[in-house]
Amino acid sequence: MTTTETTPVIPLPAGTARILTAVGATATAASAFLAWTWTSDFPGDLTVTGYPGGLQWLTLVAGALTLVLTLASYGLRGLRWTSPTRSDNGILLAATGGAVVTWGTLIAIGVELGGMANLEPGGWVAGVASALTLIGALGLPLDRHTRRPLQVLNKWWFTAVPVTPLLYLAATGVDSSRPVAPVLVVLAQGGLAAAGGVVLVQALMLLRTWLRLTTIERRTAPPLELPSWVEVLLIIAAFSVGLFAITFGIDTEYGELFTGYLVLAGTGVAALTKSGLIARLRALTVKHRPVTTGAAFAAAAGFPFTQSSDQYTSVATNILIFATVALGLNIVVGLAGLLDLGYVAFLGVGAYAAALVSGSPASPIHVAFPFWGAVLTGAAASMIFGVLIGAPTLRLRGDYLAIVTLGFGEIFRITMNNLNGTTGPNLTNGSNGIPRIPDLNIFGFDLGKTHTVFGIDLGRFSNYYLLMLIVTAFVVLVFSRVGDSRIGRAWVAIREDETAAQAMGINGFRLKLLAFALGASLAGLAGTVQAHVSYTVTPDQYTFAEALPPNSAFLLAAVILGGMGTISGPLLGATLLFLIPKKLEFLSNYQLLAFGIALIVLMRVRPEGLIANRRRQLEFHEADIPAQAAPSDTALTKAGA
Amino acid sequence: MNQLPQQLANGLILGALYGLVAIGYTMVYGIVQLINFAHGEIFMVGGFGALTAFLALPGGTTLWIAIPLMLVAGILVSVLVAIGAERFAYRPLRTAPRLAPLITAIGLSIALQQLVFSFYPDAKKARVFPQIPGSPFNIAGMTIQRSDLFLIVAAPVCMLALGWFVTKTRSGRAMQATSQDPDTAKLMGIDTDRIIVMAFAIGAAFAAVAAVAYGLRTGQIDWHMGFVLGLKAFTAAVLGGIGNIYGAMLGGLVLGLAEGLATAYIQHVPGMQLFGGGAWKDVWAFVLLIVVLLVRPQGLLGERVADRA
Repeated sequence: MTTTETTPVIPLPAGTARILTAVGATATAASAFLAWTWTSDFPGDLTVTGYPGGLQWLTLVAGALTLVLTLASYGLRGLRWTSPTRSDNGILLAATGGAVVTWGTLIAIGVELGGMANLEPGGWVAGVASALTLIGALGLPLDRHTRRPLQVLNKWWFTAVPVTPLLYLAATGVDSSRPVAPVLVVLAQGGLAAAGGVVLVQALMLLRTWLRLTTIERRTAPPLELPSWVEVLLIIAAFSVGLFAITFGIDTEYGELFTGYLVLAGTGVAALTKSGLIARLRALTVKHRPVTTGAAFAAAAGFPFTQSSDQYTSVATNILIFATVALGLNIVVGLAGLLDLGYVAFLGVGAYAAALVSGSPASPIHVAFPFWGAVLTGAAASMIFGVLIGAPTLRLRGDYLAIVTLGFGEIFRITMNNLNGTTGPNLTNGSNGIPRIPDLNIFGFDLGKTHTVFGIDLGRFSNYYLLMLIVTAFVVLVFSRVGDSRIGRAWVAIREDETAAQAMGINGFRLKLLAFALGASLAGLAGTVQAHVSYTVTPDQYTFAEALPPNSAFLLAAVILGGMGTISGPLLGATLLFLIPKKLEFLSNYQLLAFGIALIVLMRVRPEGLIANRRRQLEFHEADIPAQAAPSDTALTKAGA
Repeated sequence: MNQLPQQLANGLILGALYGLVAIGYTMVYGIVQLINFAHGEIFMVGGFGALTAFLALPGGTTLWIAIPLMLVAGILVSVLVAIGAERFAYRPLRTAPRLAPLITAIGLSIALQQLVFSFYPDAKKARVFPQIPGSPFNIAGMTIQRSDLFLIVAAPVCMLALGWFVTKTRSGRAMQATSQDPDTAKLMGIDTDRIIVMAFAIGAAFAAVAAVAYGLRTGQIDWHMGFVLGLKAFTAAVLGGIGNIYGAMLGGLVLGLAEGLATAYIQHVPGMQLFGGGAWKDVWAFVLLIVVLLVRPQGLLGERVADRA
């Protein structure tokens, strides 16, 4: 059994370490106001003294967060609420975020401008300050395991370290005129990468053994009794901060800033989780659930009003479409446990149905349904296909559904390509798709035009964003109502053990079909809006795996990354999966590769996703449950002693 | 002109190809109840392994020497990838909920495709694969390409060898025992981990044979050839009764025949003039899968639907 202790990693006197952290954090935050480099060639213009720019904002936020948490650890009145657990691990995480962002920026400047000589003294101040903060934070009494044995990889793998460079030399020595030479070089490079991976993983294990970090469950002081309206205000404030953070992420203009943003967001949230603030906030949101939902949607609806052009609202609209479809998939996968690998085809059915009845001149059916009619047509068409696919397959146990839906996704694309008048009846224009889908007009409100609300111009994409938000709200409503109902509980029962569920009188086939058809029609619903947003529907928008979402693989990944069976999980997962390929263009050639590897690693490391459903988490970590009882045992003995 | 013999021959040759790949799905599924989505990609890397061996040989090597060497290289690559996948991706998840290994398989499938696409030289487009030169044979109104000879010889040999292995050898019988009841098999002293690795390896080796046959047949291989072929092969495995190795081969042949006949004859069915031809053959294969699941979900040779939820 492992036991825990509260000791520093670097042996510094506790008082000194805390002062060092506080001073370092202050200096880090202050250094954001200095000039870091002499030329504005580096994106974001870091040359101005007295005003932070671009990445400096991130350093400022990280420094400020570290400072606040450190001051809270002194028990400073007015800031104590930021750290209810009084754990110093939060400070370490915040300091790490600051150091990584700051040094990442400095190194990026050095690499992009060609040498560290391009740094102004301000840059060095920032680097030294953030490093000192990190050292100070490592000297704080942290929650640690008493001992953590070093894991060593299979010793034979280390033979790759000396062997692969030799192989590489041998491969490059092959006469380059022979056709096999480039293949050998690639293979040898692969070997080098594998050797590097072995070394890296071992280094991380060493670091883990050195740090021995863990979480000690502490009894936190009871939260302050606040009047109800203050609590509501706090929730609204939290969502405003969230809106600001997400807007910042969507509006980032260059890859460096987005990378830094992701690092800071990750470490910041982790720091606040350790400090216990997130748990406090969650308790508040649980207490005021309707207000929370309202505040979340109000914050989301506020997004177009923060934008001056349509550039980023189009991104946000597409995120919403992707997220809504992912949420629909979550009913099928997360609640009912049915693996659907062709889900994007239902989006496609809805989009095609809407395009056909939209009055587009390219549609062979010359009708123009009003929006509500198109929505019903799209959802109904998707549902019919869902039932057609589901009825034969869902009678069976096992994984037939996965392969049938995968096949359906592929067949949908082939069929849409073939219905072009030469290889089949003319319905969809084949690979050209149905272009020139007119803009929606709802009750005389033309979504294609720019409208001015409160003096702010809302362009075409802002209109569609708000429309899509209503659809998202509808899907969230369906998800939460159905999920908590008798039907939803039956789905969960089927997911966990179909035999037992049937023994309890649940009609497995009917409920599975219901889940599948409901998921399909929600995707169809989103598809009808998507058709209008993107002007054109083509078969190639609806594939299994493609570099850009939405596609079936990314939808599934959004659900799993975010957390199966939760509402916020797929929304978060979809946002990340949409923004990361969009913002990090240097990844563009390898993003699908990274995506595939990430899926494998995620299943090994955190199969329950970022936002874990409590029940799911227990299911995935059954082995850990007895171990969780251990800390309370020690707490009892301590209390008894 | 009566095109029935020709379509039958095409269908059977294609079906043998599906059957060889389907073996891999069915063996793994029979033992660990996992749809190994990455199997199509194991087929694909086998093809690239064989191509690498061909490139390494001095130009002008006769195919009598080249094909066996390519086969060895292809099998080596496929088997290594399959064993690696089993060891590092699937084995740690053996006790996890069943969604986890499926998703791992999808990730593996995408990663393998992209590794070949991004890093194999000139693999962004299809790469030329050698073909057996010479004019095609004409037998009883059927035209058979010389390159298809490889498959006509290899598929029965592989099947007979597998049948012998499974029924006559100790390991083969251990495999059957593991497939029937892994826990009891373990109690009887069978190293089930080794058996699982063996199932992956045999499936991968057959996939590599199929990949060489595919390359010889079409004259090219590409990075996404495993996706649709894997889907078809899985269909074949379900058609024959998943878990049954003879079923996989039979299912492959039936699927191949159905495709060949659908391509040629659907357009003669009244009202279906526009749904014939090669463009729709994948759709008909899929419709066949749905129909089979509807009327005989245990497949042609399957005896029971495994219920080990």
